[in-house]
Amino acid sequence: MTILRDAWEALQDRLFFLPPFPDQLDALALFALLLIAGLVVGELLQRRLGLSRLVGYVLAGAVCGPEGLGWLDAEGVAMARPVADVALGLLMMETGRNLDWRWLRLNPGLLRSAGAEAGLAFAGLFAFAWLAVDLSPAWSAATAAIAMASAPAVVLLITEECRAEGQVAQRTQVLTAINCTASFVVFAIVLGVIHAEQSGDWLNSLAHPCWVVGGGGIIAWLCARLALAVAARQSGGALAQVFVLVAAALLAIGLARMVAVPVFLCLFMMGLALGSLDRGRVLTYASLPQGHGLLAVVLFVVTGAMLPLTDMTPLAVAQVLGLLLVRGLAKFGGVTLVGQADLPMAKRRLVGLGIQPLSATAIFMAAELTTIYPEVSGQALVLPLLAAAVMEFIGPQLCRAALVRAGETAPAAGRRTE
Amino acid sequence: MSDLAGLRFASSRPLTLGVELELQLVSLRDYDLTRAATDLLASLPGDDSHGEVKLEITESMIEVNSKPRQDIAGIAADLEGLRALLVRHCGRNNIAVCGGGTHPFHRWPERRISPGERFAFLNERYGYLSKQFTVFGQHIHVGVRSGDEAIWLTHALNAHIPYFIALSASSPYMDATDTGFQSARLNAVSAFPLSGQAPDVADWAAFLDHMALLQSCGVAASIKDLYWDVRPKPEYGTVELRICDTPLSVARAVQLAALAQCLCRYLLRERPPVDPVLQTLVARHNKFQACRFGFEAELADPLRREPRCLATALEALLATLAGDAAALGCSGQLNALREITEARAGDAAWLRARAATGQHAFNELTRQAVERFAEPSIQGGGI
Repeated sequence: MTILRDAWEALQDRLFFLPPFPDQLDALALFALLLIAGLVVGELLQRRLGLSRLVGYVLAGAVCGPEGLGWLDAEGVAMARPVADVALGLLMMETGRNLDWRWLRLNPGLLRSAGAEAGLAFAGLFAFAWLAVDLSPAWSAATAAIAMASAPAVVLLITEECRAEGQVAQRTQVLTAINCTASFVVFAIVLGVIHAEQSGDWLNSLAHPCWVVGGGGIIAWLCARLALAVAARQSGGALAQVFVLVAAALLAIGLARMVAVPVFLCLFMMGLALGSLDRGRVLTYASLPQGHGLLAVVLFVVTGAMLPLTDMTPLAVAQVLGLLLVRGLAKFGGVTLVGQADLPMAKRRLVGLGIQPLSATAIFMAAELTTIYPEVSGQALVLPLLAAAVMEFIGPQLCRAALVRAGETAPAAGRRTE
Repeated sequence: MSDLAGLRFASSRPLTLGVELELQLVSLRDYDLTRAATDLLASLPGDDSHGEVKLEITESMIEVNSKPRQDIAGIAADLEGLRALLVRHCGRNNIAVCGGGTHPFHRWPERRISPGERFAFLNERYGYLSKQFTVFGQHIHVGVRSGDEAIWLTHALNAHIPYFIALSASSPYMDATDTGFQSARLNAVSAFPLSGQAPDVADWAAFLDHMALLQSCGVAASIKDLYWDVRPKPEYGTVELRICDTPLSVARAVQLAALAQCLCRYLLRERPPVDPVLQTLVARHNKFQACRFGFEAELADPLRREPRCLATALEALLATLAGDAAALGCSGQLNALREITEARAGDAAWLRARAATGQHAFNELTRQAVERFAEPSIQGGGI
């Protein structure tokens, strides 16, 4: 390095356009290298061990991030956060678009199953956080609200990675979308409860949930309307439709960030709005499956870098394992024991396995609370964050295993390629 | 003596009808074909009062079989019952079912072979053809008294194949392209080495000799391996017409079954002259003409040694069959077919009239086909 620096500085005398010798890698270049590392590790794990690529992306982020080797520091992660917001936002929009309410009307057993699974998960997680971990009721509710959701991005991406088609894949996706909806509603209510517990400020307790849901809803509705109106006037092909969809989503993300509404919530609502408002089917068939792969790399590498791995004390590990056990049993029990009589029990069990992932949405929900109450939430939310960290590595594999066991994956996706 | 040579032709009541329909299973998200058959089958109730639902070669297909019925009303009730059952249960599985001889835009390499020894064998034997065989046809069984009668009727029906092709044609699109054909499905069937017409055998004994020859040479293990346009089905005691595209509606499927029944009654009653050798000379030409041009086809008539317009010949045939239709209670169905012929308004025309331009036109077209199949077929065509 010294030789290079000396040579550079010697050249500077003759080449006036040369800048000072760059001591540090540009943050953007570093981020790009991180993405490439994620891509390489993901591909390696998939080829050598048959693991999901998502695990590799998270691993690369965790190793290179501030709590790993530190190649990407906290500042770098903060810089990458908006990019991850976009990635998560677009994937949440896809999840919202895919949620088909007609299906729930035609198959009420599925809705009962979803209600049982989400309700049991919330109750179990709340009781565990309150009674076993000794968190306050408000922070226990926050823990439960964050951890009750499955990971829509993981489920969507694993389904696409395996090219899975069938009832296990479809029901895993719809149950994930429903428990996310439930989680977001509870999360908004919990925001008010936390305000009441932390500051006793009733105005904020009532106004903040309304702001989050109402504000997110208005932005979502407006951007969805705009996307549909513009798309209806486009004579171009699929590319123009995808462009309109992405541009409207970026607008919604920007607006949500401006008024402090959670991006994932706003974009999920925008997906729901697009699904219900698009009566002329202007954007119904527009999709960006290749784009999902790119979003996955960005989202999961950044998420990996955000994981609080140094907080993994023996006690925390024990608590996390307990929380994940309670959550896992609640979700599995809800899905297998309630509703869905039209699906054989073996497949219901696989759906129970498929909805286990807990991931980026939880981490981003926790980040929302940390922004408001940094001094308290850091400690109070360590449990769901660590649970998400563990499930970042296990969740994709569980979901993948469920789809492979169900026989729903494309032939090449279900076996190791080595 | 081979197993086939010992095969007995199970006599059945003359003109008993049975119908098989191969149907498309599509995703409600984009209306592309989807892997859904085994899940759907597992979710269906055990009730078989209207017939059976079965797997087909790929997971995006499902086959419904009516029960054997003496009259067309029974067939109509069965197919309507099976249609309602499938539509209801597809809704519960968030998929949809529709008719049509081909799916307009699916990619055949993405199809998954259904579980089962027979399907694995076919996949092993035919390679990529087995996935390309994701096309959808209607088979009509007509009961006959004996094997000899079945062989004669097989030859006699061969001359009328183009009419069934034109009336059922519902596969103008493949690979998101207008093929220019009214029925492109049959081009996929033609790729199979044992497709085409039955050989010129005089009676059931000669047919068994022919089958024994094929078996001993390793060409075919059973009659199931023969994808002929018309073939005898000894275990059912029927002659099976395998040439039709699956129509877009149950009503049309019933009308085609009614035509088959009336035509068989007429042929068995009148016993017109049949010359399988002459017929074979023009069979491929006539089939191509009907697939390509539908009602506007120019058929070669080897007995009269002249070309004939398919629609004109079909109208004449329908008029000839009026008495048989009245006797069998099929007048409503044959009148509907006559109207379709006069208006040249088959399913292929229906699809072309609705195919818009633009990026997702075929998704939208399939959605409309789904809606059409979902409509109850109580009225229309005399059902």
